[in-house]
Amino acid sequence: MNANPLSELPQHQLPISQPRYVGQDVPRIEDPLLLTGRAEFGDNIHKTGMLHAAILRSPYAHARIRGIDTSRAEALPGVAAVLVGAEVKAQSRPVFGIPEGWTGHALAVEKTHWAGEPVAIVAAEDRYVAEDALELIEVDYEPLEPMVNALEAADGKGPVVLEGKDTNVMYARKFTFGDVDTAFAEADLVVNEDSRWHRSAGNPIETCVCIARWDPFDQSLTLEGSHRSPLLVMPALVGALGLSPTQIRIYTSPLGGSFGVKTFARYVILLSLLAKKLGGRPVKWTEDRIEHLAGNSSHAWDRHHNAAMAVRQDGTITAVRIRAMDDFGAFGEWLGVGQIVKPITIFPGCYRIPAYEYDCAAVLTNKVPQGPYRGFGLPSHYWVLEQLVDLAAEKLGMDRAEIRRKNFIRRDEFPYTIPSGNVYDSGDYEAGLDLLLEKADYAALKEQQAAARKQGRLVGLSVVTSIEPGLTGTPMLGLLSPRMFSRTSSPEGMALRMDGFGKMIAQVGFPWGGQSQHTFVRQILADYFAVKAEDVQVVVADSSTMQPGMGPVSSRIAVALGGAVVGAAKLLAEKLGRVAAVMLEADPGDVELKDGAFQVRGAPARSAPVPQVAGFMLARADKLPEGVDGNPEVSFVWNPPDHYLADEQGRSHYGVTATSAVHLCMLEVDHGTGQVEILRYVMVDDCGVRLNPSVVRGQLLGSLAQGLGNALYEEYVYDDQGQLLTTTYMDYLMPTVMEVPVVEEYEQCTPSPVTSLGQKGVGEGALHTTPAAVRCAINDALHPLGVHIAEAPATPFRIWSALQAAATSP
Amino acid sequence: MKPPRFEYFSPRSLSETVAILAEHGDGAKVLAGGQSLLPLLNMRLARPSVLVDINRVSRLDTVRPHGTGGVAIGATVRQRSLHGDPTLLDRLPILGTASQFIGHQQIRSRGTICGSLAHADPAAELPALAVALEAEMVASSASGERVLPAADFFVDYLTTVLEPTEVLTEVRFPGPPAGMRWAFLEMSRRHGDFALAGVVAGLSTSDDGSSIKAARLVVFGVAGTPVRASAVEAALVGQPPTDSVLTDAAAEATRLLDPPADVHGSGAYRRALAQTLTVRALQACRESHGTAEPAT
Amino acid sequence: MAVRQTVRVRVNGLERVAETDVRRTLVDFLREDLGLTGTHVGCEHGVCGACTVLMGGQAVRACIMLAVQADGAELLTVEGLASPDGTLHPIQEAFREKHGLQCGFCTPGILMTTCELLASTPSPSTEEIKDWLSGHLCRCTGYQQIIESIQLAATRMASDQMVLSAQ
Repeated sequence: MNANPLSELPQHQLPISQPRYVGQDVPRIEDPLLLTGRAEFGDNIHKTGMLHAAILRSPYAHARIRGIDTSRAEALPGVAAVLVGAEVKAQSRPVFGIPEGWTGHALAVEKTHWAGEPVAIVAAEDRYVAEDALELIEVDYEPLEPMVNALEAADGKGPVVLEGKDTNVMYARKFTFGDVDTAFAEADLVVNEDSRWHRSAGNPIETCVCIARWDPFDQSLTLEGSHRSPLLVMPALVGALGLSPTQIRIYTSPLGGSFGVKTFARYVILLSLLAKKLGGRPVKWTEDRIEHLAGNSSHAWDRHHNAAMAVRQDGTITAVRIRAMDDFGAFGEWLGVGQIVKPITIFPGCYRIPAYEYDCAAVLTNKVPQGPYRGFGLPSHYWVLEQLVDLAAEKLGMDRAEIRRKNFIRRDEFPYTIPSGNVYDSGDYEAGLDLLLEKADYAALKEQQAAARKQGRLVGLSVVTSIEPGLTGTPMLGLLSPRMFSRTSSPEGMALRMDGFGKMIAQVGFPWGGQSQHTFVRQILADYFAVKAEDVQVVVADSSTMQPGMGPVSSRIAVALGGAVVGAAKLLAEKLGRVAAVMLEADPGDVELKDGAFQVRGAPARSAPVPQVAGFMLARADKLPEGVDGNPEVSFVWNPPDHYLADEQGRSHYGVTATSAVHLCMLEVDHGTGQVEILRYVMVDDCGVRLNPSVVRGQLLGSLAQGLGNALYEEYVYDDQGQLLTTTYMDYLMPTVMEVPVVEEYEQCTPSPVTSLGQKGVGEGALHTTPAAVRCAINDALHPLGVHIAEAPATPFRIWSALQAAATSP
Repeated sequence: MKPPRFEYFSPRSLSETVAILAEHGDGAKVLAGGQSLLPLLNMRLARPSVLVDINRVSRLDTVRPHGTGGVAIGATVRQRSLHGDPTLLDRLPILGTASQFIGHQQIRSRGTICGSLAHADPAAELPALAVALEAEMVASSASGERVLPAADFFVDYLTTVLEPTEVLTEVRFPGPPAGMRWAFLEMSRRHGDFALAGVVAGLSTSDDGSSIKAARLVVFGVAGTPVRASAVEAALVGQPPTDSVLTDAAAEATRLLDPPADVHGSGAYRRALAQTLTVRALQACRESHGTAEPAT
Repeated sequence: MAVRQTVRVRVNGLERVAETDVRRTLVDFLREDLGLTGTHVGCEHGVCGACTVLMGGQAVRACIMLAVQADGAELLTVEGLASPDGTLHPIQEAFREKHGLQCGFCTPGILMTTCELLASTPSPSTEEIKDWLSGHLCRCTGYQQIIESIQLAATRMASDQMVLSAQ
């Protein structure tokens, strides 16, 4: 076993002398089922009498529906029901979204808003027949002029996407923190750049699945499927269907990846309505891949950026202005619009930037609606910010690493409050940079680059940084709609039960999704009570039995669930401790848990092992102290400490932890083809205490691969009629093993002073950093030619086009 | 994404196969490896009323020597054979080299060589190789057999001269010209994707490497069919294989191309790619002779 | 010819027979008709590799094959890897040990490809591993820990083989 960082921690709250599981590469609970093909993913679920749904989708980006004839489809043998927009409109309200009022119904009613919008849904004996039936539905469309240009949408030109609105601007707000104008007026140097980040998405290999059953006698709805958290689905259903939460029960299956997409509120509503029409027969919808690419609100971040940075001659950054206009597609569904405001939660990244302005807008176009994607809008922010830093360094003749070092928040400045109010808990950015430069041998790389340039090769280097907020709380969503979202809670709950043998059942509110969350629940509890790992089982509650909890969103699992586990363990220990005091004939205040037994302080020989105490508690009601029931069970709901509603300026304590990363990328651009080859990729990250280092490593390497996809490959491309041209995996290009470089990984550990075990959130980090690292390195490679890339992905064609411009310019 | 209804035939003999094709004609589609057809069926972009599965037809799964140094490959021989079959590897190693660009192992274990030729995707590798190596296609129907040179076989994007009643039963690659060194290059966005542009080049030079004796040059992915630059091949003969000669040849070979734009880039980009790759391929052929570029 | 047909396959060593639509894909046949839901559906157009199974020992995409094409074939799916007593296959064990999976949805397909790879190339180079693995999309891991898992499995299986041949 490695030296355990926890033992060094002043705040470590595990009552065990030497933790055996926390901080170690413990094998995952999840794996045996996953490896043997026995994990019950949503599409495996089969119910007696179950029907299969298929969805008819609009071929037009924008069209009026003059009529729908479903008679031939309904007559097809094997078809049970067809549901159309008029019925949906009569029975439900539009899909939930904030800000409110910018969505449509679960099926298109009067008109369609994007090519791929659901127009009708069929339930049939099997999916093949359901798809046959789709071909028999006749829809009379009157094509309308589509709105496909977000810049025009922002300027108030062109057709309006949503009926009843007079604008396509769904949300716009300028945030100003500090004296930005003066800083720019007094700057020695101002650098600026316009950039374009194209649409991409998480694309889990498992698509969305929902099985819905309506009980007409009980008037209740049961849902099963790939829902990442019942708590996130329930409000959407209650709002749209007008049901009471007591009429709805949601069960979650293991997720084959989510990356933000597995809420799919529109489809959950749609399946529920279809189920109501089926009078008791369950119906399953398994989204197919083309539906996922073209039909779900899964796309993310379609941004136009204008950015500027004010700098002093010595390299001090004094202010930043960023304008971000996001093409949200047809609707502002669910919480997706939050992605445009999230940058203010970490705006200055790792730097001491005293003033900044963020002017953001979300506009509607006739494209697939955006939804949340891992990173929730931050990757493009760092991709812009870090490029500005490089531009400043270049103009000032400073080394890219040194300008960053100069502006870093220093290790003695934590907790550090950024101008927009968020508090970074801890960090040591300079030490991270030093580690990176040393491990990468930065000086030698610069020499290699110089030598390559002499040979005419286009070799580039970059060093970039980022901050990953370990969960971002609900106050951020309040920025979109203070009325609908005056919340400060971002709960994660756990119920914890021990039996008379000291074995534990921990109940969480969400399924596996790849983040190994059940494993580290086991690790923490086994160490807390000094039992064997296999003495702790983790079960998933459904919506009716779960504690309040949001599940795996926003890099929150280590922080929030980690807080919930320790909180529940403490409560259970307290409860058991009172019983132990009876057994040991001691004052409860003198009894403490240590290494799996309750002992009397100062007299460790007087002790009772935890299982014995639990057994006693269950067996001897006559001996229970006042106010203690005979049940070794507790529940605990963790919430972020110190969260408050954002003030009028938009300031709040948005996060809990601040994970830092610094990446180095060295790459070469092929003159002839525009292709990029990554030569070196080195990263250092600091996410505090690693509860399970292999799991952290997997999160980092996986999010790095997605970042690489954003940087170089992945893009949803539309034509001028709003038709999506990248509707298959032949066109939407995610990196394979051949495209992802071998990454040299190094770690720092600056424990968080505010979490249960010093851990920080780490689900999104490398995706925040990699696009910036690749962009800056490409532009460094192109620098001798005087050309520049300001688009993501930096495709070979875009790079080649820049090279052509260099060749033709004098 | 589920296939539409069709009737399925799984004939055991060639005569049975061509009889079914004769009966169903236009509505029938031959299924071999299915690695292109099944995705199209799942998306309902292909709508055959009859599927004729030739995988159980006897005697179509063989690779045999053909002429001097050549090979004849049956209709159901998998693409994996390109890098696994000893006859193929021994006689036409360029096919093995090129095969690593065809999809992935899991695709090549089902996908057939003849199927790729009959599918005629202009961005695919095998049609270009067939044209460059002057292969012959054997098309069978109820009325007999036609032998078609590869140069005449490909008509346009996903279109060949095969009649609906015909099945491609064999492709015959003749032995390549003695002393010719080959290079195969393509550019795709990711490993295994269809090429944005690609090139098959062959050069043979005089013993001292100072002059070109013969050349082959086919670019692909940049037009409806693979494009053989016959005039450029002829013009190269007798020239020294210098960088400038090869660069000029590549420019000439790609000058008239007018590839369509797609999501990956403009037509001009793909033409430029073809030109760049052609230079690199010709240089690779020259270098593989083991002689440095002659002094100019 | 009918639109339905009886398909007889040997899956994981057992003879299985079912009548099915001729248009049914092999992966739907395995999952729906035979109840072998360990093989997953990811893209249904032959790109992601989630549905990979072994047919006659070779890795194939079950989403772009018809069930009727597999009539008479010998198939191996992920359910056939571990022993009935719960002992994981060395490849599965290596993936567990090296954290070669996160959400695990693409994993069964990758395991099947690894089976063929290690059967045909017991000590693959990193380049060979990558070549075989390139037919699979994994959205969680970034692949590095999968490569390490396959390397570990190869080492273990090779030494097991040596022990066996020494006996």
